Amino acid sequence: MKRLLDVQNLNISFSGYGRTQQVLHDISFCVNEGEQVSLIGETGSGKSVTAKAILGTLPANATIDSGSIGFEGMDLFNLSKPDRERLKGTAFSIIMQDPLSSFNPVFRIGTHLDDVMRHADRRQGIPDSAKGRKSRIFETLRKVQLSDPERIFNAWPFELSGGMRQRVLIALALLHQPQLLIADEPGTALDVTTQYEILRLIKSLVVEDGLSLLMITHNLGVVRQTADRVLVMQHGHMVEQGPLQRVFSAPESDYTKSLMAAVPPLYGPNVTNQPVSDKAPIITLTDVQKIYKKRGLFTQGEGHLAVDGINITVNEGEIFGLAGESGSGKTTVARMIMDLLEPTSGTVTVSGTPSENALRLSQIVYQNPGTSLNPKRSVQQILDVPLKHMGYDKPKRRARMEELLTLVRLPVNFLSKYPHELSGGQKQRVAIARALAAEPKIIVLDEPTSALDVSVQRTVMDLLLELRDSLGLTYVIISHDLSLMRNFCSRIAIMFKSRIVEAGTPEEVFRTAKHPYTRALISAIPVISDAEEAQKPTVTDEERSQFLVANTGS
Amino acid sequence: MALRLLETILRRLLSVLLVLFVLSLMIFTLARIVPGDPARMVLGPSATQEQVAELRTEMGLDQPILTQYVTYVGKAVHGDLGQSIVTNRPVSRDIAEFLPATLELVLVTIIIVLLIAVPLGVLTARHRNTWIDNVGRFFSLVGVTIPSFLFAVGLQLVAANFFPSWPILGRVDYQLNAPDGPTGLLLIDSLMSGRMDVFADASQHILFPALALAMSGIGQITRITRSAMIENQRRDHALTLRSFGVPEKVVTFKYLLKLSSVAPLTIMGLEFASMIGNAFVVEMVFGWGGFASYGLTAILQKDLNALMAVVLISGLFFIFANLVIDIVVGLIDPRLRLRGGTA
Amino acid sequence: MSQSTPKELTAAYMSWYRFSRNHAAVIGAVIVISVLVMTALAPWITPFPDHIGSVVDFRNRHAAPDAQNWFGTDKAGRDVFTRTIFGFRVSLMLVVGVLGISVPVGAVLGMSAGYFGGWTERIITGLTNVMLAIPPLVMALAIGNVLEPNLTNAMIAITLLWWTWHARLVYRITVSIASEDYIEAARLAGASHMHILFREILPNCVAVISVKTTLDAAFVILFGATLSFLGFGVKPPTPDLGSMVADGRQFLPEKWWEVLAPGFAIFYATLGFNLLGDGLRDMFDVED
Repeated sequence: MKRLLDVQNLNISFSGYGRTQQVLHDISFCVNEGEQVSLIGETGSGKSVTAKAILGTLPANATIDSGSIGFEGMDLFNLSKPDRERLKGTAFSIIMQDPLSSFNPVFRIGTHLDDVMRHADRRQGIPDSAKGRKSRIFETLRKVQLSDPERIFNAWPFELSGGMRQRVLIALALLHQPQLLIADEPGTALDVTTQYEILRLIKSLVVEDGLSLLMITHNLGVVRQTADRVLVMQHGHMVEQGPLQRVFSAPESDYTKSLMAAVPPLYGPNVTNQPVSDKAPIITLTDVQKIYKKRGLFTQGEGHLAVDGINITVNEGEIFGLAGESGSGKTTVARMIMDLLEPTSGTVTVSGTPSENALRLSQIVYQNPGTSLNPKRSVQQILDVPLKHMGYDKPKRRARMEELLTLVRLPVNFLSKYPHELSGGQKQRVAIARALAAEPKIIVLDEPTSALDVSVQRTVMDLLLELRDSLGLTYVIISHDLSLMRNFCSRIAIMFKSRIVEAGTPEEVFRTAKHPYTRALISAIPVISDAEEAQKPTVTDEERSQFLVANTGS
Repeated sequence: MALRLLETILRRLLSVLLVLFVLSLMIFTLARIVPGDPARMVLGPSATQEQVAELRTEMGLDQPILTQYVTYVGKAVHGDLGQSIVTNRPVSRDIAEFLPATLELVLVTIIIVLLIAVPLGVLTARHRNTWIDNVGRFFSLVGVTIPSFLFAVGLQLVAANFFPSWPILGRVDYQLNAPDGPTGLLLIDSLMSGRMDVFADASQHILFPALALAMSGIGQITRITRSAMIENQRRDHALTLRSFGVPEKVVTFKYLLKLSSVAPLTIMGLEFASMIGNAFVVEMVFGWGGFASYGLTAILQKDLNALMAVVLISGLFFIFANLVIDIVVGLIDPRLRLRGGTA
Repeated sequence: MSQSTPKELTAAYMSWYRFSRNHAAVIGAVIVISVLVMTALAPWITPFPDHIGSVVDFRNRHAAPDAQNWFGTDKAGRDVFTRTIFGFRVSLMLVVGVLGISVPVGAVLGMSAGYFGGWTERIITGLTNVMLAIPPLVMALAIGNVLEPNLTNAMIAITLLWWTWHARLVYRITVSIASEDYIEAARLAGASHMHILFREILPNCVAVISVKTTLDAAFVILFGATLSFLGFGVKPPTPDLGSMVADGRQFLPEKWWEVLAPGFAIFYATLGFNLLGDGLRDMFDVED
């Protein structure tokens, strides 16, 4: 097989603030013609820097210390600037990651596409008229399954959904039939089902046109779907590489092993079934409906139906999961349980007596630990607020703070630290400690791990389980991540378009999902073994088009 | 969509009316608490007590402030802004006479600001941390650190020393018999009537006052343009285009420039208020017989009706200018078009 | 890019690094400190401290710069250098008076509008919009005229308008902060409105406020000088940079030094505050 991309002993460092930090250490790998390679790594592993080095879009403060990148035998670092530019978009191109910010908001989608094509044409010496370019662009847009190219071409970026923008980004990469496609976490910011569609699309395009693919991702499930060969990076080092089958069945490095172990299983012997609680109900929602009223001079009276016909009972000591994609209404339900929102009709009853001195029964742990802790306040100051309200005096507060940090497995000297000194997982532990400080009976977990790396996710979830057992808490978790809920929840409910479409224990739901949406949702979860893949529910193409395309098309 | 646009426009108009209402009420109350009797000021120290009382009744000064205000507004909407005690003419006539001169000065100033500041901002951002950047930044710094009156005085000095024949007072040479109307803006009127001699002379006259007035704006707008360009250069969308080999020139001058023009335009709108203020000083130094000079006299002479009109017209001017800018910004950024104004 | 900022770099170090590498900012700081020192030590470092009073020395009027009078003398024979240094005092008093009131007032109103929303927001933003529509100089002149043209009234007039800029700025930041999760978390933990405003929101505004305040110091100096240039400043014979320029202007271009020294002094002080403000902006890494 012919070598297309050949990276040899690449060392790159970044300088800033008078210091230099090496971010890539002796990275070597290759991509053969027609091969699909996945580059796996968590935050800070250097996987995106590697992609930028290949593309030639490293930031100004980056230095290539040594090494080489070869493409079809050419040494990219020795090419003249025009020669290097000529390769962009034609020899290799990138599928950008964030569909939201990847387009200039004051230019139409078509302007972006046309400029990219026009300048690449010019470099290649292809003469074409504006009209000719437009028809070629339309053709490419149809290729990425955007059925109305005219509308897409004339749309402003903000008028398209995330899924559509991501497709346009793929089209952008395909305009000139590159040999190598580099995909940087495509669809990560999108819903599971949309992401699944995007991955299917990329895969089919690569296979159809015989392209080579370098997929950069942190999701092992994605890797299993798209790769022949796997590269694993950690802290700028290449810790393992090999064929997919070998790496997944017999990982060599400890890091790969820990990554594999952290992925929550969907089926099989490793799945955890949480016991169902038979205690008295603590949360009861009966026929709950919520309509958000829009205020306007002409539009008064119109409203947006956020949730409808919701009936939920959560027993004390349960871990109740509310699953759904963005806009399904799950956050609205959680906020009504928290008494932060009033239902438009129906009743929300939260029974039970608060702990002595406690302000309220429920507390919340937010999705993004980066924004749930005030950057200007130390851990001590953060924890002081709820404790003060509990009426404790100073020595008692201090003692309680140390107790809380110990509970969430953080050293006591963290009290004097500020959020920016903590890692994502540590911040989330502080957020949990803050919720516990108010001595609640119920904790609402709003996507508690989705902003964290896989290996950290696992430890946070384990901590939450321990705390529930020792403190007798009830959890309501809202998430789009069904694989997490499978192992963490005692009961789950699936929400789709403002309604609950399926409910039961995770085991029931995963084995005998009735609603097509639930089945589509489960089948979209990337898994890491063929055995699990085989046990997923099946979805017909008709159902898929009904519940997935309709969902992403708007 | 159309409904939302209509709603946006209605909302804007409503807020304009509100601003005008509060502004006029504020100035009106302010003007009425002036120590010193306006009627006495009109008649002078030799008038008798009875004469003063009679004029007070005639001017409506013996009525409660609220009544006076309602009367004033009632007349104002019909274009009657009262009588000036300095010129002894209707204030509206004075304004009609003096406003075009200031309008002309401010318009030329805006053109100068945009012509110099935007290219300079783009240039300094493109050549960040080079000598070009340093020179440009120093120049813009000079713009914001030196007050308009110093520029005005300095430019007059320069003219007097190096270009002795360059006119530094007034709008136009009186011997030229400049055309009167229809717009009142000399540069436009002279072009319309084909008087190139007047146009050339008026252009010479306006250059230095406009430059003096423009300097602070140039400083501000250059800085804002530069930082907006630099900010946007780092964004993902610039990286998208670069990743596909779109030339840096196209990325900068087409994509980034359009996006980066929103911030300076918005700031430009807010700068109008201080520009009108600075016009007071510049007009004074250059003997520019405009609205600002009129306002300054009104203030010094405690000419209440004139003062009231000057503040209201300045406010109206500011609101109108910002409305225009909102529309322009809306044309540039489709997201703002649907969301409504920024100010 | 997380790779470029290794863990051991503290925020304070990075801020200091950015500031100290910015030569312009260091120069700005030096200028501002020199102005403060000159102002404080004016009676001891100027050759003729009594010339700030109503001294008249007609034999020595309009004297060109020489060893004794470094920047010459004015129409009453007073030393221009001495009067310029003392002129800083008036400018700085104005800065402290105006910003000392308008910054806290603006910050509190802006925070309240952004945090409480509803009618508080509508009234405060409405008021801000009205105030922004008034040319500050016109307002200052009008008030100065209604009351009496002197420094205190000029200060009142400027303060009445100046708070709006800070209110606007702080309002914008607060609106974005108010929707952050940590604000809701604090409320759920039982924090009072006071606590949220002054302990949670205010610390996040400090960087922006201090940058704006530094830059504003320059604007207030310019503004005060313009007012006194138009005759709305301190009462003569107290020296004031703006009125010194206005006085000297009558004797241009022959007696250029009478305008040069106060004119340069205005430039010097405003330049210092501007450079310092820009440096602080880079240091705190805040947007315009």
